[in-house]
Amino acid sequence: MLLPEIPEIAVWAIYLAPLASFVVIGAALRNRPLHAGRLTIAAVGLSWLLALWALDTSLDVDGVALGFPMHEWLTLFDLEVVLGVRLDGLTAVMLVVVTSVSLMVQIYSTGYMDGDTGYARYFAYMSLFTAAMLGLVVSASLLQLFVHWELVGLASYLLIGFWFHKPSAAAAAKKAFIVTRFGDFGFMLAVLLIWTKTGTFEIAAINEGAEHLSSAVLAGFTLGLFAGAVGKSAQFPLHIWLPDAMEGPTPVSALIHAATMVVAGVYLIARFFPSFEAAPSEVTSTVAYIGGFTAIFAATMGIVATDIKRVLAYSTISQLGYMVMALGLGGYVAAIFHLFTHAFFKALLFLGSGSVNHATNTFDMRRMGGLRHSMPITFWTFIIGALSLSGVFPLAGFWSKDEILLDAYNHNTLLFWVGVTVAGMTAFYMFRAIFLTFFGEYRGGEPPEEPGHGSDPSHPHESPRAMWAPLAILAVPAIGIGWVNLGGDFGVFVQGALPHVEHPFEFHIDSFVLAVSTVFALGGIGLAAAIYYARQPKAEVLLDRLAPVHSVVENKYYMDTIAETVLVRRVLLGGVGAAASLFDRYVVDGVVNGIGLATRTAGDAARRVQTGQMQAYTSLMLIGVVVATALLFGLRADQLDRLRDWLGV
Amino acid sequence: MLTLFLLLPIVGAAILAITPNEKKDEARWIALTFSGLAFAVSVVIFATFMSRLYSDTGVEGYQFVDRFVWIDAQDAGFTVQYFLGVDGLSAPMVLLTGLLSLAAVLVSWRVDLRVSEYFMWLLVLETAVSGVFLSLDLIQFFFFWELELLPMYLLISIWGSGRKEYSAMKFLLYTIAGSALMLVGFLVLGLTAGTFDIAELSANPPTTALVPLWAVFWAIMAAFLVKLPVFPVHTWLPDAHTDAPTAVSVMLAGVLLKMGGYGILRIVLPILPNEVRDFRVLLAAIAGFSVVYGAILTLRQTDLKRLVAYSSVSHMGFVLLGVAALTPLGLSGAALQMFTHGTITGLLFVMVGLVYDRTHTREISEMTGLMHRMPLIGVVMVVAGLASLGLPGLSGFVAELTVFLGSLGEHPAATIAAVSGVVLAAGYILWMMERVFMGPADDRWEHLTDATSWWERTLMAGMLITIIGVGVFPRVLTDAVESGIAPIIAIVGTT
Repeated sequence: MLLPEIPEIAVWAIYLAPLASFVVIGAALRNRPLHAGRLTIAAVGLSWLLALWALDTSLDVDGVALGFPMHEWLTLFDLEVVLGVRLDGLTAVMLVVVTSVSLMVQIYSTGYMDGDTGYARYFAYMSLFTAAMLGLVVSASLLQLFVHWELVGLASYLLIGFWFHKPSAAAAAKKAFIVTRFGDFGFMLAVLLIWTKTGTFEIAAINEGAEHLSSAVLAGFTLGLFAGAVGKSAQFPLHIWLPDAMEGPTPVSALIHAATMVVAGVYLIARFFPSFEAAPSEVTSTVAYIGGFTAIFAATMGIVATDIKRVLAYSTISQLGYMVMALGLGGYVAAIFHLFTHAFFKALLFLGSGSVNHATNTFDMRRMGGLRHSMPITFWTFIIGALSLSGVFPLAGFWSKDEILLDAYNHNTLLFWVGVTVAGMTAFYMFRAIFLTFFGEYRGGEPPEEPGHGSDPSHPHESPRAMWAPLAILAVPAIGIGWVNLGGDFGVFVQGALPHVEHPFEFHIDSFVLAVSTVFALGGIGLAAAIYYARQPKAEVLLDRLAPVHSVVENKYYMDTIAETVLVRRVLLGGVGAAASLFDRYVVDGVVNGIGLATRTAGDAARRVQTGQMQAYTSLMLIGVVVATALLFGLRADQLDRLRDWLGV
Repeated sequence: MLTLFLLLPIVGAAILAITPNEKKDEARWIALTFSGLAFAVSVVIFATFMSRLYSDTGVEGYQFVDRFVWIDAQDAGFTVQYFLGVDGLSAPMVLLTGLLSLAAVLVSWRVDLRVSEYFMWLLVLETAVSGVFLSLDLIQFFFFWELELLPMYLLISIWGSGRKEYSAMKFLLYTIAGSALMLVGFLVLGLTAGTFDIAELSANPPTTALVPLWAVFWAIMAAFLVKLPVFPVHTWLPDAHTDAPTAVSVMLAGVLLKMGGYGILRIVLPILPNEVRDFRVLLAAIAGFSVVYGAILTLRQTDLKRLVAYSSVSHMGFVLLGVAALTPLGLSGAALQMFTHGTITGLLFVMVGLVYDRTHTREISEMTGLMHRMPLIGVVMVVAGLASLGLPGLSGFVAELTVFLGSLGEHPAATIAAVSGVVLAAGYILWMMERVFMGPADDRWEHLTDATSWWERTLMAGMLITIIGVGVFPRVLTDAVESGIAPIIAIVGTT
C-alpha cells in the first residue's frame, strides 16, 4: 500500500542478514562482545524492517503467493533440488512475528547477558537461531524447509546448552536435540516418501497435487510431517524436552517459546494444511486429539510447578496443543491467529520472568513474593501478559482463543469442553504465579554464588532500561494485536496462502462460547485469588488432601523417568545394547577367533599327517584320484570343455 | 599425471628408506613434501577433470590414461596391463586420498619412534591405496589391494597401542581371507573372458564361467564387504582402529574402507550385473541391519576411538544400501557417502587423536569439561560430530539424503531402518560430546593446551573447509559422481 512491491532479493535478505551476522561474529567479533550484540540487533532490525515491507506487499495482494523464481542447487539424475523464497499471507505473518519478537529479545539480552563471559558467542548463536527460523518460514521447498528445521534444532541445542559447564544444561541441550530428532525421523521419511511419489519438493506443487495422491501415501506423508511437528512443538508424548530446555538463558526461552522453534511445528502443519485436508480424516482427528490432550495434560503440570519459568513452559506446551487441536479441526485461521497473538504475550511473560530472576537470582516462586512494589513495570506488564494468555476480554489472547473454541464448538463437543477447561486452568496457574511472585511478603530470593557479582537479591529492584523497555513495548501488542481480526481481515489474509479456499473466513462471535470461556477464565483467576491471595482455603491444606495426585503430576506423570530410565537406559542401552554387545563379542567375534583356533588345530593335524610312511601317502593319493574323478564326472559337458581349454589339454 | 600421483609417495618412501631414524625433522619434512606434492597433483587431477566435465564436449570414458602391457602372456590367453585412468567415480577418491594422506602426515608430526621408517610406510600406504583407485586392470587392482596390507600391518603392530599385535594380525587375516577369494574370482573372470581389462569386461559382462557366476560374485564381494565393512564381517575394524596410531586410523576410516565400496561400484556392478540384481534384497537387508546394529553398538562404547570406529560400521551400511538400490541416486549416494564419510570420520579420528595426545586416555568416563581447556578442538569436534549425525549444511547430509531418496522406493524396510540409524547417530554423538566436552572444568585437565601448533590448525581448517564446502555447494562433487555413475547405471540399472 505504502511501498512498492518487495523484490526477491529483499526477501532473501530477511533471512541472510542474521545469517551474515552469525558468520561475522564467529569469524571476527569473538573478542569484541559489544560489537557482536550491536551487530545482531542491527541485523535483526534490518530483517524486521524488510519483514514489514514484505507484509505491506503481501497485504496488497491479499496474501496470495508472489511468484518468485526457483534457483537450482543440485541436479543429480532425476533429483532436482531447487531453492526459492515464498511470500504469502502465512509467511508474511510469520516473518513479522519472528523478527519482532527476536528484535525485542536481542535488545533485552544486552541487559540480561551483560557481563557474561560468553556474550559474543551468545549473540552469534542468537543470530543463527533467528536466521534458521526465518529461513524455515520463507522456504519454498520442503527440503529447504527441512534443512532450516534442522538448523533451528542445532541453534536451540547450542543455546539451551549455552552454559555448558552446568551438567544440567548440557543434558537438557542433548535431550532437546535427540527428542526432537525422534520426531524428525518421521519428517525425514515424509520428505523421502513425497519425493519418491511425486518427484518434487516444491511446497506449492505438493499441496496442489495432494488430492491426486493415494490416501495411503497422503496419510503416510502427513503423519510423517505431524511426527516432526510433535517433536518440535513439544506435543505429547515428545513434550519432555521442553521443560528441561529452561536451562538456557531466559531470553533464549522467550525466543524458543514465542517465535522460533516450537511454533515451527505448528507452522509446518499450517504450511501443508491443504495436504492435511486432503488426507484421510483419521489423520486430522489424530492431530486434533493429540493437540487437545496435550493442552489439558500440560496444563495440569503448569498448576503444580513451583518454578516460574516452568509454569510458562507448560503453558507453552498447552497453548501449542490448542493450536495443533485447531489445525486438526480444520481451524487454519484460528491456529495461525493464536500463534500470532501468543508470540507477543508469551515473549512478554518470559522476558518478565527473566526480569524477576535478574532481581531475585532465582526462578523459584517460593522464594519470591511482594515484588509488585519493587518492580512495578515488570509487575504491570506481567499482569497484562497473563490476562492476555488467560483470554480475558478484550486483550489479544481473548480473540484468538475464542476462534479456536468456536471451531471446536462447531466440530467436536468433547474437544470444546477440553478447550474450555484448559482456558480455566490457564487462568488459574497464571494468576497463581502472579500471586506467588508479586504479592505477599518477599521471601528473600537466592544469594548470589559469588558475592559482589550482579545485583543484590536481598533488595530487589527494577531491571535496567534495556530490559524493561522491551517489556513495555511488547505489552502493547499483548493488549491490542487481537483487534486486527475484528473484521476478519487477518483470516482472509492468511487464507491467501491456501491454493483454494472453500469457506472464506468470516468473523463472528457466538455468545454461548464467549460466555462460557469468560466464565471459566474469570473463574480460574478467582480461584487462584482465593487460594493464593485470600488464602481461603489454604494451599497447604489442599496439597495435603491431594497429595497422591499432586506427586504424580509433580513428577510429570513419570514420563521423563519412563523415557530416560526405562526406555533409554534399561531397554536401549541395558537390554538391546548389552545384548548386541555380547553378541558382537562372543558370537560374531567368537566365530572369527574360533576359525583362527580351528585353523591352528587343523595345521597341527595336517603336520601330523606328514608321517613319512609310504603306505599312508599312497592310500591318500588313491582317495584323491577317486574324488577327483567323481568330481570330473559330476561336471557338465560345457564346464568340462572349458576346464580342458584352461588346462591346455 | 596419474603415474606421477602414484609414484610421488613411493619416491618419498624410497628417500626415507635411506634417511636414518635419528634425523627426525628431516624425515617429517620429506614426508610432508611428498604427500603435499601428491595432494597438489590430486587437486590438479580433480580440477582438470572437472573443467573437462564442464567443457562443451564433456568427458567420455577414462581420463589421463596411462597404459602399457605389463605381463604379456598371449600364448596362455591373457595379458596383464598397467592401466591407469580416472572417471567421475575415482576422481573424488583420488582427491580424498591426496587430502587424507597429507592429513595423516600432519597428524603424525609428534610421532617419535623410528620416525623415518614410520613415514616411509605411511607413504607406501598412500601409493597402495591410490593404485587401487586408479587401476583399471583386475590383476593390477589386486596387486595394489594386497600392497596395502604390508604397511598397515607394520604400522599397527609397531606404532600402535594396546593389543596391537592381535589387532594387526586380525586385520591382516581378515583381509587376506577376503582377498584370496577375490583373487579366485578375478582369475575365473579373467581367464573366462581372456582379459583382465576392467573396461572391456564391463562392456561385455561374462554370461557364463567355469564355476557358477553367483559363486564368483560372492567370492569377490567377500573381500569388499570385509573391507567396507558390514555385519557380520566387521569385528576387525574396532580392534584395528583402537590400537592403530592416529594417522593410520585416519587413513583406515578415510580411504581404506572406501576401497570396498569402490570395488563394488567399479568391478562387481558392471561386470556381474545379473548377480547383483539377484542378491540385491539380501544386500539391502545386510545394509539396513548393519546401520542399526552398528549404531546400537556405538551407543555402548566407552572408548572414544572405539566409538568413532563403530559409528563407521553404521555409516558404511549406507554405502551398501545405496548400492543395493541399483538406482541412479542410490549409487550416487553410495559414492558421495564414501567421500563425505572419509572426510568426516577422518576429521573425527584426527580430533580424537589430538585429544588423546593431551589427555593420554581415551576413556570417555575419565574426561569432562574439556571445552574449557581446548575450545578450538572442542568446536571442531562438535562440527565434525554434527556432520557425522547428518546435519544439513554439512557434507554428510547430502550423501545420506541421496542414498535414502534412491533406496526408499526399492527397499522401504531397509531404508526406514537406516533412517532410524540417523536418530541413533544423534544419540551417540551428542551423548559423547556431553560427557567429554561439557560439564564443569576438571582440575585434572588444567594443564592441557588447545590446538596451537601450525600443523594442527592447518589440518583442522583444511578438513572443515571440505566438509562445509561440500555441504553448502555439493554440486562440484555430485556432478563428478553423476558422470561416473551414469555408465554403471546403464549396465546395471533395473529400469
